[in-house]
Amino acid sequence: MTETFQCGDNTALVGYLYDECEAHARTAIAAHVTVCAACAAELAALRSTRVQLAAWSPPEAELGFLITQRQAPQPLKFKREPKTQSTRWFARPLPAWAQVAAATIVFAVGMLLGIAQGTNGVGSPRNVTTASVQPGSGSAPNVSEASLAALERRLRDEMATIRVANRETVAPSSPSLGNEAQLMTRVRALIEESEQRQQRELALRTAELVRDFDSQRRVDLAQIQRNFGQIEGLTGAEVREQREMLNYLIRASQQQR
Amino acid sequence: MTWTDEDLVARSRGGDLDSFNQLILRWERPIYALAYRVIGREEDARDVVQETFLRAFRALPGFKGQAKFSSWLYRIALNLCRDWIRRRRRSPLVELPEGVDPVELAAETGPVESIEDLASRKELSEAVAEAMSLLPEEQRTAIILKEYHGMTFQEIADLQGCPLSTVKTRLYQGLAVLRRNLERSGRLTPREQSGRPAPQMVKRA
Repeated sequence: MTETFQCGDNTALVGYLYDECEAHARTAIAAHVTVCAACAAELAALRSTRVQLAAWSPPEAELGFLITQRQAPQPLKFKREPKTQSTRWFARPLPAWAQVAAATIVFAVGMLLGIAQGTNGVGSPRNVTTASVQPGSGSAPNVSEASLAALERRLRDEMATIRVANRETVAPSSPSLGNEAQLMTRVRALIEESEQRQQRELALRTAELVRDFDSQRRVDLAQIQRNFGQIEGLTGAEVREQREMLNYLIRASQQQR
Repeated sequence: MTWTDEDLVARSRGGDLDSFNQLILRWERPIYALAYRVIGREEDARDVVQETFLRAFRALPGFKGQAKFSSWLYRIALNLCRDWIRRRRRSPLVELPEGVDPVELAAETGPVESIEDLASRKELSEAVAEAMSLLPEEQRTAIILKEYHGMTFQEIADLQGCPLSTVKTRLYQGLAVLRRNLERSGRLTPREQSGRPAPQMVKRA
């Protein structure tokens, strides 16, 4: 298929200028501009205008926008740079290590309370033990093998109950065990949430660090370039002065002759 | 591993803020360049960038991926620019500085250029900015999207909501007016204006 280019079809010329036209149209226009001075001049003028456009660049701007979201369901906000935390110390979230330590303390206290209840005989009726003194066991007159075995059995039962409660997160039969299990679940959830938050923070900080590094590098490069420019300017001025001085000396010597 | 825009959009829609922030990091410079060239003011261009990403984030659940994410962003940014132009039609688009500081100029480009070249380039940049500011908004936007963002005629037509032939017409008319404006400001030499070699003076034999 052959296609002829209509002289003065400027939209087709624009397609040719940006190389967004069919191959046959390109061939037709290329052939036309070799013989038509007006279209050739128009095309050249458009190209030179495009060359001028390349000189226009936007100024460097510090952007670095980030989208952040608060814990409570509040509107989203943008932040340019990380701001220092202005909330008071007791309102800030605890770090992960502190939450782990708190959880350990709570767990240990709970265990001790459970053991103390078992040994003191305070609590449910099944915890009541009868310490019978066996003849011939002089080393531990208040503790019998049977009571130790009963205590061991009771502790194992309680620990198994706690494990089941933690695993299945269902309400345990005993109110105190239920509270501990709920507390443990909550503490674990808090720890996980804190870790996720810290990982997120770390990723954001890393991104910001990379960006800061890049902007610092640009500033340094600009500084170096500025110094180079100054040196170039000074050198050029000195060369010009020396050349003028030399010309003056030559002219003066010629005049003296 | 580098995620594609589509991956990051999918993760953002799942609630991953970091993924959306990566999209911001990837696209904020082009959107800023677009906004600056369309409206001509640095601070306002930054505001447009911020608002663009905020709107995009809020509208993310409704973005089904019919278009490229970048095209969607460009559309939001252009709409914001259009609103800005409507609001501040009276104010000048480009503020020309009174003088040219060679030291400041030297800081903006490489050391291989001389001070004279730097000054000339800066002046040319300002002349182009001024000439562009005189164009009608549609022509200016078409030229910006084509020249600085490398979009196809079809992509520009989709963004501007007009036929492809209209985009070509806008480009041609915009370039022609721009050329006249540059000629008037003395930025185009006779050789550049005619596209032919300028006549040279030669010694007679």
